[in-house]
Amino acid sequence: MAPPVSTPKSASPSQPSGKSEVTDLKLQLRQLAGSRAPGADDAKRDLFKRVISCMTVGIDVSPAFSEMVMCSATSDVVLKKMCYLYVGNYARCNPDLALLTINFLQKDCHDQDPTIRGLALRSLCSLRVQNLVEYLVAPLAAGLKDHSSYVRTVAAIGVLKLYHISATMCHDSDFPAALKALMLSDPDAQVVANCLYSLLEIWTQDAANSDEAAREIETLYGKSIIYYLLNRIKDFSEWAQCLVLDLVSKYIPSDNNEIFDMMNLLEDRLQHANGAVVLATIKVFLHLTMSMTDVHQQVYERIKAPLLTLVGAGSPEQSYAVLCHLHLLVMRAPMLFSSDYKHFYCQFSDPSYVKKLKLEMLTAIANESNTYEIVTELCEYAGNVDVPIARESIRAVGKIALQQYDVNAIVDRLLQFLEMEKDYVTAETLVLVKDLLRKYPQWSHDCIAVVGNISSNSIQEPKAKAALIWMLGEYSQDMMDAPYVLESLVENWEEEHSPEVRLHLLTAVMRCFFKRAPETQKALGAALAAGLADNNQDVHDRALFYYRLLQYDVAVAERVVNPPKQAVSVFADTQSSEIKDRIFDEFNSLSVVYQKPSYLFTDKEHRGPFEFSENLSNLAIGGDSGDDVIHSAQRYEENDKDLLLSTSDKEENGGPTHNGSSTYSAPSDVNSSRSLVSSSTTQPAAFAIDDLLGLGVLDTPVLPPPPALSLNAKPVLDPGTFQKKWGQLTVSSSQESTLSIQGVASLTAPQSLIKHMQNNSIQCIASGGQPPNYKFFFFAQKEGSSSFFLVECIVNTASAKAQIKIKADDASASDAFASLFQSALSNFGSS
Amino acid sequence: MQQLQCIFLLSESSGEVMVEKQTTGHHVDRSICAWFWHQYNHHRNNDQMSVVTSPTHYLFPLIRHGIIFLACTQLELPPLLPIEFLSRFADILSDYLCAGSGAGATLNEDIVKDNFVIVYEVLDEMMDNGFPLTTEPNLLKDIVLPPNLVTKVLHAVTGNSSPSVGPTLPHAAASTVPWRSTHPKTTTNEVYVNLVEQLDASVNRDGNLRRCQVYGEIQVNSSLPGFPDLTLSFTNPSLLNDVRFHPCVRFRPWESSQVLSFVPPDGHFKLMTYRVKELKKIPIYVKPQLTSDSGNCRISALVGVRNDPGKTIDSIIVEFQLPPCITSADLTSNHGTVDILADKTCRWSIGQIPKDKLPSLSGNLVLEPGLDRLHVAPTFQVRFKIMGIAMSGLQIDKLDVKNMPANPYKGFRAQTQAGDYEFRS
Repeated sequence: MAPPVSTPKSASPSQPSGKSEVTDLKLQLRQLAGSRAPGADDAKRDLFKRVISCMTVGIDVSPAFSEMVMCSATSDVVLKKMCYLYVGNYARCNPDLALLTINFLQKDCHDQDPTIRGLALRSLCSLRVQNLVEYLVAPLAAGLKDHSSYVRTVAAIGVLKLYHISATMCHDSDFPAALKALMLSDPDAQVVANCLYSLLEIWTQDAANSDEAAREIETLYGKSIIYYLLNRIKDFSEWAQCLVLDLVSKYIPSDNNEIFDMMNLLEDRLQHANGAVVLATIKVFLHLTMSMTDVHQQVYERIKAPLLTLVGAGSPEQSYAVLCHLHLLVMRAPMLFSSDYKHFYCQFSDPSYVKKLKLEMLTAIANESNTYEIVTELCEYAGNVDVPIARESIRAVGKIALQQYDVNAIVDRLLQFLEMEKDYVTAETLVLVKDLLRKYPQWSHDCIAVVGNISSNSIQEPKAKAALIWMLGEYSQDMMDAPYVLESLVENWEEEHSPEVRLHLLTAVMRCFFKRAPETQKALGAALAAGLADNNQDVHDRALFYYRLLQYDVAVAERVVNPPKQAVSVFADTQSSEIKDRIFDEFNSLSVVYQKPSYLFTDKEHRGPFEFSENLSNLAIGGDSGDDVIHSAQRYEENDKDLLLSTSDKEENGGPTHNGSSTYSAPSDVNSSRSLVSSSTTQPAAFAIDDLLGLGVLDTPVLPPPPALSLNAKPVLDPGTFQKKWGQLTVSSSQESTLSIQGVASLTAPQSLIKHMQNNSIQCIASGGQPPNYKFFFFAQKEGSSSFFLVECIVNTASAKAQIKIKADDASASDAFASLFQSALSNFGSS
Repeated sequence: MQQLQCIFLLSESSGEVMVEKQTTGHHVDRSICAWFWHQYNHHRNNDQMSVVTSPTHYLFPLIRHGIIFLACTQLELPPLLPIEFLSRFADILSDYLCAGSGAGATLNEDIVKDNFVIVYEVLDEMMDNGFPLTTEPNLLKDIVLPPNLVTKVLHAVTGNSSPSVGPTLPHAAASTVPWRSTHPKTTTNEVYVNLVEQLDASVNRDGNLRRCQVYGEIQVNSSLPGFPDLTLSFTNPSLLNDVRFHPCVRFRPWESSQVLSFVPPDGHFKLMTYRVKELKKIPIYVKPQLTSDSGNCRISALVGVRNDPGKTIDSIIVEFQLPPCITSADLTSNHGTVDILADKTCRWSIGQIPKDKLPSLSGNLVLEPGLDRLHVAPTFQVRFKIMGIAMSGLQIDKLDVKNMPANPYKGFRAQTQAGDYEFRS
């Protein structure tokens, strides 16, 4: 229906007949306009159909606007509907002509038939023309009081449409209050739901500028309204149920009885035919029980079956979205799913993105009892026709091997893969065997015996080749022909395209040299020579480094290249636990499908390269004042260019230079050059250079020492207010701090930390989580003032780290509070 | 806010935009369809994701009957909401546009193009300002009449330009059972209950059953006058592993005594879906064997009945994908026909298993030059249908109808078909 923006005629270049068709239609419509003859409606209907089909194809039929309006005086409902559709589509581009339609729409708003009244009201609100809003108010007000529930549902949404066209008009007519009254009293559930829908949007948008709207939002999340909606939940349509459940998931119950009552009431929603309702209910359950570890686990048990059914029974589209949520839960609590491993077996017909998720889940839930079964299954996938999946499943076997204690059988399986003689299988397996050996060096004998039989010529993939070369270097004493294999690889140096492989080759030859010097000496010489002549900077540098190291002292070189190694205990995880928690908080949203928290794909600062420049300007304002600010900001930029210049100079000169000061004087601005020359003495400039070097300016803010802050020993804040404040305030300080070892040791349950913080006048309002992750919400109040500090603190006992986010009523005191909080936290366990 | 900003219907074969419905003040340009169409073709042979991120919008595509239903939004929302809504929309359109054209007719792009006015009307009632509104088929049919045979005949006879809009509005929305229309309709006073099960199984290369489960549906077609109250009970409800209900099912009776008590909507609907896991028996087996050496691969496969279900197993089809490294294949069978389709799928249509012999397939595959042995193992997928039995063993005990002037006719049926039923070689 794309209404053209400026040039209507060019809208349909692919439709050469478009223009003449429109003129033709116009003509015919005009003839019919005044006709009252029998059968005129049928003719009109055909014409209207043609107009709308033109519109759908993308031809611009807006020139026929006035003719269409002329024809719209009819009692035929289908004609009316088509006309409404047309008008709704083109009114925005023809605001003047749209005025013509107001008349008949307003008349229809008083029709006897509620269908017509509703339709007319909906169309009237959908015109979205700024200068016609005055005509909307009266019909809307009447619509909200209409005795037909159909018209009231339309009017409730109509208010929202009015709000988007003109917020002031909406408020002046007092519609939000009317909606609220209707929401709390209407017998029809759909009307209630639509009022809720409109109010949520209106007040959420207003909340930024108006305290009153924020308070109103607060009442929506309050006990009385939540209970009112919950008690009617079964009357609502399934979509409205989703809306209500979403609202409920943000409600904080005051005690456990309330939680249990709500869960009992909602339990049957888990068996709703609509998957969206089921997921929304699961979200409520998970959020309600966050702080009750036992119940939280029971919730997992309870939601398992519905989720598994949704995955299996739905269409592929549904299935994937649900599977992503299941994936999230499995990754959070793999133990609870360990007996359901069969559900995650891949089916031949699953699309590969589904298979990938399933493989990840199988990997996560493997434990002592099911590893055998899972690995047997995974091994069958290695022969899969779908090569990426075959690779993925071999990797999965390897990952399971790395997380198990008893790897005996798995190593055998992996070695069997090598016997399949399929290049990609061999390649993947080699990489895994390498990782496995880094963790379990005791398996070297078995592995080396098999790996030794693999010809290095048959392996093409750089990663696999690098792995093989690493093993040749590391275990050269056990492999008879290691030096000769390496030597032949060095001879083919020129044909090796991957710098990664060449780097590994250098190191491997070095290692081999220290173990079997006489046999390797020749290869080492050749490798170093080839490395020094290499085009790749890294390879060249490493060769040079080894060369000089050997020149300096062979014994030292051996200590550097071939130190005794410790087995790796844990490989680094790719996604931090904080991110995982964030995604979990956003359960039942797109974040889960993307496997990223929403701020990573919606927040401005994570999107582009602007982050840096924004930081700079903020800093300048914080550190300096007045005109200088602009100057200093410009200076940074100039310096930036200069610094780049100087480094490129350096490379060309080929030696260390100290010509920094000469390039610094390049800017013509006398003022700036002066300050730069004296950069070592003046604070702001030094700070500028720090920043350019990427030394994290945020850690070294130049601020006056904070005034001493004392906290109210017994502040009072109820959860509702906390929730509201947390929603309104922005994060004023976000830090990471480390816990002492004693602190970690005494944090076996959230209570210990809560007590400790209480002694420091910081109160806990909510806590939850299971080892190793705990989450706390704290608050504190400034002595003798009403300003609160709110803290979200996520503690990971495994890494002894705490992520702290502070929001404050009085942002200026937040740094002082942050240091207070940090010191309290670091004292934890020592007292 | 949970809202969809625009809904498009595209043709799956040409990418042509058939219907465009802007639902909010935010206008979504239709160029997004061209973008999506390009992406879709690009990935057609691989995989489609259920959420696609375009440079400007999140797109939720749903493909049914050769039509792409595409919802666009820029706002965060529960992912299942648009997906469920679109599949409901697709179901309702099928119901609207195909119910009159006889059994077995499915939605296609021509039907949509011919009836686009109805599509707009229905969509208009199903969604207001991007939020789903009325999605109960019975309610919708009261507001927008389907273009069925009756109205067409009426139109022809009376010459009256019958509007496709209901004369009055439904009051069901205000009643306690919104799914049931309160208008008295001519009914045939009968109710049919149909158990439809889908059997998923996978057997590994050693012939062990790795997993076997059933997804079942109870479909009801009710045509009862007044306000009937039905109770359906099973002889063995403990079998059911997980259940989901149509909103008409009362939760308490199920909790306490595992009976389904409900006031049915008119016409076809899904009363309950269920899952039965860990079945131990499968009705039919395939024994594939592949041996390869020196560039050739001998293949043979036997099909037989394992645990006779007591009813005929019908329309048996065995399919497997020939690995890409195979240059030619020569396959014969002693029963049924073997076809190799364009995408290298080998389809062996067996039909029923004869009494006197076991169907077997054998032949030779020639590998690519340079390949000595076949390294990949094809998976054999089986399709079949068994009428008259639910393989999970679920049995309906009885159906009580209350609140009715005359005793209605009650019909029961059951059927099982293969879902993901696969044998690895």
